[in-house]
Amino acid sequence: MHDLLSKRLPMMLAFFAGMVIIVAFFSGHPTLTNFRSNMQVWVSIIGGFTLLLGVVSITSVNYRRVRKLEKDWPYKLILLISLVVSGGFGIFQGTEAGTVYDWLFQNMSAPMMSSMFAMLAFFIASAAYRAFRARTVEATILLVVAMIVMLGRVPIGQVIYHRLPEITEWIMNYPNLAVQRGIIIGAALGAASMSIRIILGIERTYMGR
Amino acid sequence: MKKLLRFFTPLFLHPAMLCASAGGASWFRTDRINSLILLIIFAAAVLIYIRLAKTGRPLFIRKLSGLDAMDDAVGRATEMGKPVLFIPGIQEVSEIQTIAGLSILGRVASYTAEYEAGLLVTVQYPVVMAAAQEIVKDAYVNAGKRELYNDSMVQYVAGSQFALAAAVNGIMTRIRPAANIFMGAFYAESLLLAETGNLTGAIQISGTANPEQLPFFIAACDFTLMGEELYAASAYLSGEPKLLGSLKGQDLLKIIIIILILAAIVYLMIDWKALFILKILETS
Amino acid sequence: MNRYRIAEILTGIDRRIIYLSILLATIIPFLVGFPQPIYVSKESRDLYNWVENIRDGSTILLTFDYYPSTLAEVEPMSRAAIKHCWRKDMKLICMTTVPLGGPSITERVMNDMATNWAVEELGAKKIYGVDYINLGYKPDYKAVLMGMGTSFRDIYPTDFRSVPLDSFPITKNVDKYSDVNFLYIISDNGIVDEWVTIANRQFGIPLGAGVTAVMAPKFYSYLQSQQMVGLLGGMRGAAEYEKLIGSEGMATLFMGPQSLVHLMIIFFILLGNTAYFLGGRKV
Repeated sequence: MHDLLSKRLPMMLAFFAGMVIIVAFFSGHPTLTNFRSNMQVWVSIIGGFTLLLGVVSITSVNYRRVRKLEKDWPYKLILLISLVVSGGFGIFQGTEAGTVYDWLFQNMSAPMMSSMFAMLAFFIASAAYRAFRARTVEATILLVVAMIVMLGRVPIGQVIYHRLPEITEWIMNYPNLAVQRGIIIGAALGAASMSIRIILGIERTYMGR
Repeated sequence: MKKLLRFFTPLFLHPAMLCASAGGASWFRTDRINSLILLIIFAAAVLIYIRLAKTGRPLFIRKLSGLDAMDDAVGRATEMGKPVLFIPGIQEVSEIQTIAGLSILGRVASYTAEYEAGLLVTVQYPVVMAAAQEIVKDAYVNAGKRELYNDSMVQYVAGSQFALAAAVNGIMTRIRPAANIFMGAFYAESLLLAETGNLTGAIQISGTANPEQLPFFIAACDFTLMGEELYAASAYLSGEPKLLGSLKGQDLLKIIIIILILAAIVYLMIDWKALFILKILETS
Repeated sequence: MNRYRIAEILTGIDRRIIYLSILLATIIPFLVGFPQPIYVSKESRDLYNWVENIRDGSTILLTFDYYPSTLAEVEPMSRAAIKHCWRKDMKLICMTTVPLGGPSITERVMNDMATNWAVEELGAKKIYGVDYINLGYKPDYKAVLMGMGTSFRDIYPTDFRSVPLDSFPITKNVDKYSDVNFLYIISDNGIVDEWVTIANRQFGIPLGAGVTAVMAPKFYSYLQSQQMVGLLGGMRGAAEYEKLIGSEGMATLFMGPQSLVHLMIIFFILLGNTAYFLGGRKV
């Protein structure tokens, strides 16, 4: 019985769901396409319920640390307070413009998210300084091309050498695109191969086996 | 010839486009027959190689340093008494890259269970959390170390991309894991995570099929799995012949695609009207 | 001081010095000004020309597919696109596939452009429901993109403010992709792939996109396969578009800091390599 529930049933479900999606893709019939759409809706509904799992996990892990006054407990407390305040206002007052939740989002979440994104510029600089070394011929070519593109993508590149933007465009359109396509085709085949393995029950490592 | 070229056109387009075409209300969409043939060839190639692998025929698989380093990374974590941090990407469980990441997590968890090293998994979606908890728990049970497992090894830390990046960066600077393993779909947070990990001195192994994030991982991590290597990882790590066989099937299709691309290039380069033999055929 | 010592010093530059240099390179051009000529790339010009050649008064589907985190890079593109379209008196149907902040960004940008820019530049306010509409966000983006191919009303029976679409003049004769003349995507994520595969490939609507600089290289393939008429890549793409429409805005202003930051990064790469060679090519 345990084997059926933990092994066979999930595999059968994976096979059924995978085949429905494949068959619906090759059939334009509304019966199948509607069924496929319904399946995608079920996924959304299950996803919605599991959000509760996330809230329970984040609360229990952090509450335990605050209660035991473990190292860095004030951070956990701030997290719990933020969770209760924003979640509470979101549930009881709504999330439309003019609500407390919206105010919190616009004036706290959004600037914090922007700050995290902006940190990329600093991290790119430090990573480039540390990692970009002309160790081999290939690395030197990469380095030179990267510098051309970096200059060609900003107006100052044109001031330095008027044909730099054109050279950059050529690099982006040909060598860059050739590599991108190679990686994308390879990755798509890898994804398809993995999907076949999962649908046929050959790959079970994602179930912990 | 033109008909033939039109038939194989989807092969030369973006792979995502293989999934799209005009539709109708019939039971079978004839406009997608080319994709169907490709799928059949692909599935057949994968299954044939799996069968061959089962017969015990040795299959050569290229060495993937990033995966070989995982064992060392866990060993280092054990020596240092620090945990291994694992992130299976920031996408939902329906994303195939997340599934690939979770497959690798299973292996990493079995290593940490075996070496009795700490493991911390951070995720962005609750469904991924539930799946990851099951996978880690199974790995510990299989290793006979059930008592070392607890649910808080897998944590849902935030529901949005940069909140997750901030939370994980905080964990990295406070706990200072010995090894950081990033496997799955990553976006703009890739460099934020990898550069912070580099700052803390952790061994870093990454893998993603998102080509635009590869330069960031390569710059900041010790080892990076690129594109299809991510999907090959679970097969490579398990060493199971039937999983390795599927990789060979994949290679076969890749060769077919390369041949088709070359054939199309040659076809487009030839001036058919000027071809002597065709002129003779036309006049006769 | 021998070369090994110099190499040691150059290799050991504290990260915080690098961060401070980048910060100064970002701030100084704002304070002292750093104007530069803008070169217009082919992909930006193609997008501009396509929109320019659409009949005045046509209907455009404009997306705000970005999170608040990338506002600084992407919002100038939205503003430049709106300016171009409204100068041609086009009707804008706006929507988003981003739940977190997408609808409120759409609302804020559209209201600001309709009440401030339109009055200053065009002499009259743009009217909600007549010149533009905000459809907002609906979950399950794939189902939304597919569904809009057959009926906008199936997916969006009402606008962002829960008012039925039938009550607005702008959507009176518009109910599917084929009823709009162009799809203008402004995005910071992979949704562009879905727009191309669904809206363009399955329903045939021509589209152009403005995306973040990191994502742009990936989408060049769509330009070559002519599934995308043009592409704006990051802040530079927005600055180019501003130049094309003759209205220099935030993106043009940001080109100064961006140029200087790029130069600064190149400087640090060269510094790192100088240290590498002085130190006998040892890491």
